[in-house]
Amino acid sequence: MEGTSEILEQAIEQLAKLPGTGRKSARRIALFLLKQNDESVIKLAEALISLKKSITRCSTCGVISDGDPCSICQNTKRQTGQICVVEESQDVFLIEKTNEFRGRYHVLGGVISPLDNIGPDDVRIKQLMQRINEDDEQIDEVILALNPDSEGEATSYYINKLLKPFDDVEVTRIAYGIPMGTELEFIDEATLGRAFASRNTF
Amino acid sequence: MKITNLKLQNFRNHEETVVEWAPHMNVIVGQNGAGKTNLIDAIHYLCMSRSFVSSSDMYVVNQDATFFMIKGHFEGNIRASFDVGCSYSRGEGKKIFVNESPLDRLSDLIGMVPVVVLSPSDKKLTSEGPKQRRSFIDSFISQISPAYLQDLLDFRKARKQRNKLLQEFRGNREVLLAYLEPWNVQLMEYGSRIVAKRTEVLNKFRDYLAKEYEVISGMRHEPHLEYQTFCEPSEDEETVRERYQAELEKEQDHELERELTLIGPHRDEIVFYLDDFELRKYGSQGQHRLFALALKLAQLLYFSDELDDLPIFLLDDVFGDLDAQRTEVLLNALIEHAGQTFVTAANPIPFDEYITFDGERNRKYKVDQGQISVVKTK
Repeated sequence: MEGTSEILEQAIEQLAKLPGTGRKSARRIALFLLKQNDESVIKLAEALISLKKSITRCSTCGVISDGDPCSICQNTKRQTGQICVVEESQDVFLIEKTNEFRGRYHVLGGVISPLDNIGPDDVRIKQLMQRINEDDEQIDEVILALNPDSEGEATSYYINKLLKPFDDVEVTRIAYGIPMGTELEFIDEATLGRAFASRNTF
Repeated sequence: MKITNLKLQNFRNHEETVVEWAPHMNVIVGQNGAGKTNLIDAIHYLCMSRSFVSSSDMYVVNQDATFFMIKGHFEGNIRASFDVGCSYSRGEGKKIFVNESPLDRLSDLIGMVPVVVLSPSDKKLTSEGPKQRRSFIDSFISQISPAYLQDLLDFRKARKQRNKLLQEFRGNREVLLAYLEPWNVQLMEYGSRIVAKRTEVLNKFRDYLAKEYEVISGMRHEPHLEYQTFCEPSEDEETVRERYQAELEKEQDHELERELTLIGPHRDEIVFYLDDFELRKYGSQGQHRLFALALKLAQLLYFSDELDDLPIFLLDDVFGDLDAQRTEVLLNALIEHAGQTFVTAANPIPFDEYITFDGERNRKYKVDQGQISVVKTK
């Protein structure tokens, strides 16, 4: 094809790999970047490189962090007896925003899904068991906060089963229910049904 | 529920078509290939998010175009008035809009506008394999229970995950069994609910079927249906679940060997009988036709009794196959149905003897090469 730039096409190809970005948007972004001054484009490029090069994962909980251990695992004010199990680091950031949870986390980095070739050994379940087995961190409660889809459910079930032999570890899961600020009539039946099944004493 | 108007763009041979529908009876006549079926198939799209004729959306697009668009306006008792749209393009796939806002999942549409279809392919229901009957009962129950549809989707997912493990896991048996367990739990939960619901609906449906077959056939034989699943059918979910677990354990070795999920509602069968003989094996062409007709009329009555809104009834080219007596019976059934009905016919059927086409409540249309016009009567 004449009249196109190979360099531009390469940039578009890379940008189109980003989530939620098709080729059309990728082209728009590439042309936008081309119009920006050198400094701001270089800043973006540097930020991307250090995102990949400098960021690390906490070797204890698996959250993405600037240092190892992460600030949450280092914080002595946080309760050591509770571990909240989540799928991805972004779930940690979300729960942190609520200020409701003062324990520590464990990021699995995925959920079990044979169709995607992800088995229990491909997510950080072994590391979770190691933490619970370690003597210096006495765990009384493991809170499962995975998505309520079939893969999340299967993973929760599997972890719960592994934790059965630990009599002093209580396994809980976050409640299913009705989102704040909505009215009953706008809730789908599946959610409402779940909310009924997991109702609690008033 | 009624559809008051329909707009089509590039839908098969309809490049640009706009129709206002009558609230009771809409009869569409025209030659073969004129585009009659396409009109009611478009209505089916707005009810079930798919065609009742072709299996792929791709073939529905007009040959010279890259997309199609269907829009309809509906009026009902529960939702007073709303628009449903369906767009498809090769790049973006299919999207459903309700009042202009897109639905997250196509399945959210099912049940909003209940529909019953009668078409020549209904013969397959009684003459072909169990898959036909499962998909009949699934589409039936999904329209009256969104929870059932969700269970079907969840069951399918769990079964796929489980099959993949059975097929590809290479390692020792104990580990495989531990890996299978979370999926077994889901399989049993959704599967038991599906079986209990199928049992419940089919138990009620039996009486409707018997009644309709009597009307259609003039009561020469008595119809029966038998629901067969992995256990004695029960309306109690817990009972089914216990049996499910027992069967899974019993068939464990077999499943590991075959690398397939062998127990579950995905292998259910519904057997139809006339008196004591099995229709599929011994039925004549005529008996298959009448039985299929009775099944659909029974579905229509069941929906009419169970749902707050009357279903839309679509009849595609079914009169051509019927003798004068059945034609009369079916026409009378249509007139009795208080809801909205759409009938297509290529052959001259004596509609005018039964239906008063006043242009208000009942209307007759003529379709020719993708163009539709109202036929003025008297």
